[in-house]
Amino acid sequence: MLRKPSLLIVDDEPNVLLTLKLVLEEDGYQISTAGSFAEAEKLMLASGNFDAILTDLWMEKEDIGLELARSASKLNPRPVIVIFTGYGSAGNARAALGVPVDYFALKPLDVDELKRVLNRLVVANTAERRWQS
Amino acid sequence: MAIMSGWRGTKFALVVHPELGVLSQYQALLSKSGFTTVVARDLPTALLAITQHYFDVSIVSSQLSEAGDGWPLAGVLHLVFPGSYIGVLVPGADLLTLQSAINSGVQDVYEITQSPKSVVSAVVAAAKLAESKRPPSEGSVQ
Repeated sequence: MLRKPSLLIVDDEPNVLLTLKLVLEEDGYQISTAGSFAEAEKLMLASGNFDAILTDLWMEKEDIGLELARSASKLNPRPVIVIFTGYGSAGNARAALGVPVDYFALKPLDVDELKRVLNRLVVANTAERRWQS
Repeated sequence: MAIMSGWRGTKFALVVHPELGVLSQYQALLSKSGFTTVVARDLPTALLAITQHYFDVSIVSSQLSEAGDGWPLAGVLHLVFPGSYIGVLVPGADLLTLQSAINSGVQDVYEITQSPKSVVSAVVAAAKLAESKRPPSEGSVQ
């Protein structure tokens, strides 16, 4: 039986978290959520095997989503990393490029585009993991 | 995951830019750095080159025949050669340009005002660093 791809969604706005959870759950993903960097890191290290991590950029601190992205990029296997923000700037986009992040979305999010991109990235990442093992 | 071409002794670079003079400078500099360099002035020639070689490094102008048409090519390069280094030459590194770079799987952007010499040294250094960080199974045929 095929397992559902697992996502960790991180945002300090409960409404955004709930909306993304509902939309992506309906799209066939298994969802975990976190409302802060600390909570997300704990979940990430405990589970260690999310297919993708979607995080807001600004939560308890400016650009803290980048810290989470850096931690996630060190995991093995590396999950797909998506950052979304309402406070995009050349500075934080440049930093995200250096992590590297797989997708950088500006709020308001285009949910259909997010679903399409996420599907492409998760499928490609899963294929890559399979190839490596 | 792509097997890098280091094992066969020759590394390939692709440079895609509409100006012949610029292509020629990049070709000379990359060849000096040990790359076999293929150049293309337009999208069809670049796509043909992608079907013929494994490219370890690509330098693509974000503007080929019109503004922004280099980004989809960079995206294709990322999908076809996922382990390779892709740099894009851009008119300015603003938010939307950097967003395009991230979403196309590009490693870095270089402003067109930068000299080809400085771009090539940065690209070669970054590609070497990326290769050294890669797990052994990804970097070579065991």
